[in-house]
Amino acid sequence: MKAAEHRVTGIDATTLGAWLLALLWILPLLYALFAAFHPPEYATRFDLLAPITLDNFRRAWNAAPFARYFFNTFVLVTLILACQFVLCTLAAYAFVCFPFRGSEVIFMLVLIQLMIMPEALLIENYRTLSRLGLLDTTLAMGLPYLASAFGIFLFRQTFKTIPRELEEAAHLEGANALQVLLRVFVPLAKPIYVAYGLVAVSYHWNNFLWPLVVTNSVETRPITVGLQIFATVEQGIDWSLVTAATLLSVAPLLVAFLIFQRQFVQSFMRAGIR
Amino acid sequence: MNTSRRSFAGIALGAIAGLALSTSTAWAQTKISFYYPVQVGGPLTQVIDGYVTKFKAANPGIDVEAVYSGNYIDTTTKALTAAKAGAPPTIAVLLATDIYTFLDEDVVVPFDGFIKTAADRAWLAGFMPAYLKSAQVGGKLWSIPFQRSTAVLYWNKKAFAESGLNPEKYPTTWDEMVAYGKAVMRKDASGKVTRWGVGIPGNVGSAQWLFGALVAQAGGRLFNENGTETYLTDPKVVEALQFWVDLNKVHGVHPPGIQEWGTTPADFLEGRIAMIWTTTGNLVNIRRNAQFDFGVAPYPGKVAPASVLGGGNFYIFAKATDAQKEAAFQFAKFMTQDELQADWNIQTGYVAPRDATWETAAMKKFVSEVPAAEVARKQIPNSVPEFSTYENGRTTKILNDAIGAALTGAKTPQRALADAQTEIDRILRPYRK
Repeated sequence: MKAAEHRVTGIDATTLGAWLLALLWILPLLYALFAAFHPPEYATRFDLLAPITLDNFRRAWNAAPFARYFFNTFVLVTLILACQFVLCTLAAYAFVCFPFRGSEVIFMLVLIQLMIMPEALLIENYRTLSRLGLLDTTLAMGLPYLASAFGIFLFRQTFKTIPRELEEAAHLEGANALQVLLRVFVPLAKPIYVAYGLVAVSYHWNNFLWPLVVTNSVETRPITVGLQIFATVEQGIDWSLVTAATLLSVAPLLVAFLIFQRQFVQSFMRAGIR
Repeated sequence: MNTSRRSFAGIALGAIAGLALSTSTAWAQTKISFYYPVQVGGPLTQVIDGYVTKFKAANPGIDVEAVYSGNYIDTTTKALTAAKAGAPPTIAVLLATDIYTFLDEDVVVPFDGFIKTAADRAWLAGFMPAYLKSAQVGGKLWSIPFQRSTAVLYWNKKAFAESGLNPEKYPTTWDEMVAYGKAVMRKDASGKVTRWGVGIPGNVGSAQWLFGALVAQAGGRLFNENGTETYLTDPKVVEALQFWVDLNKVHGVHPPGIQEWGTTPADFLEGRIAMIWTTTGNLVNIRRNAQFDFGVAPYPGKVAPASVLGGGNFYIFAKATDAQKEAAFQFAKFMTQDELQADWNIQTGYVAPRDATWETAAMKKFVSEVPAAEVARKQIPNSVPEFSTYENGRTTKILNDAIGAALTGAKTPQRALADAQTEIDRILRPYRK
């Protein structure tokens, strides 16, 4: 009886904590929603009866070529994700199933890449892309990220947990190496792919410094660079405008997350259990 | 094997031919790239693009690629990265205070070599001396003032009138500012302050700017002209920081702790602070949103009234052909001509750095509509350059941290500044030869 009681209060404390954290986490978003849909006078004054307006969104949309920036970000993220999936899958597959002399050393080198901040390589990367003649292109924004060390590491660890028997059975059925990869390894690692995809998409959707440095024109720049125009530090901040522009730029991610919420959460849970 | 090598050679040849073709077509025009930041609100990239289009129409031989590059810090990062990688912009608008950084990296060229004709010299003489001074190092002119600002005091006339003060009379001394501040303070029934007297933003990133004004008002000096010395332990500098701290601790007219730059205009517009210190760049914003009568005033003084200059200048980068540099110089001249500066001033709230700009018809009309705009101009002769030394990013951060420590009460002003001076000495020692 006592133990049961204890467990009940225990659950309550956890639930309460979770709600509290969730509330803390969502507060900025709630504020952004409030400020974006009300006239600027109400940005720092909470009033439930304040008139609702879409004017902030209109001002934000007109201040920068958002449609173009959206398209650019979409192309960039798609390019990076597609290449990362292919490259990291093949690399991880090789590390797991085709060990060769020195493959451990090479894997260590890949891991070392995890420890280097991309910002530290800013100048060297710029120089390389300048030599390749790729400055101010979508490819330039994506190239340094295509072979992701984190992706290789994550997929390798996942492939290692897949029972060897399955692979051998597939071989007995006459499957070649590529078929084993596509029919056995990739389907079994699906939750990891979803989880990794989510992390990669949100990272590159938000990436700012490298795209800013390596691009010059509206035709290539992603949405984060467009957003920067609203951070008018010298003048004080127009919160209504900033929040409206922010909501515009995160909207696609937010909507996608709400739609695929269940799949995301499930894949993270499965990824965690392994 | 053989065929693949041959085809590779073919591709290479084709590429070279293509390259040659593209350079030969580019010969007809001098192509320059121009990086610029946007620091104030409004669709300013479109305004700049409009100026560039006009320039191209007037100079068909020059093609300008205008690249919006974020805020000042982003633009500096982008320009320096490109310069280090050997492909810098031809010309850029960057902070006037970063001059020593660019000298240290050896990436910019002085303007002196481009100024050849009598017309050029007359154009140069048209800039206000205070602005030109901050662009000169070692007897050379390294940049040309473009989007310059200065700090001013905004006061709430309604709050002044409610408190029995003359709403038209702004404080001209520190003592007056404190006295007026005490008069306008309001508390609610529970003792919580609903209106503060004065707010001086002191958050990291902007504290050094307004602190420069306080120090000048106290009759002190923060740094030397060669960017190799700071004088943080000077009694006048300590006095300035002590006054800033005392505004809250002793006089109780300033909100406790650190006032945020970004929210200061909102505090003023909401009537939470009756007098604020901020940039002239805020005039457009405050004028549009204030529900009460307000005034713009020059800064008060302890020894003498003084303010501080800020903003960005044109820099020409070293690694460009002579033709490109010459074209960039023409572009800088075009962008600082009086009609264009007047338009830029009116659209942004920057302070045109040329006296003749203020004599244009457009500017005269603007000043007659917004007399406050002229306050900034009148204050300029009494203004000092912003804190700027070699290793500017690091020394500025050290100074800002010291100001923050004093404002939050973690250290006494004397202690905070002495510690900062020791640290800055260590950083600047290699430059003091």
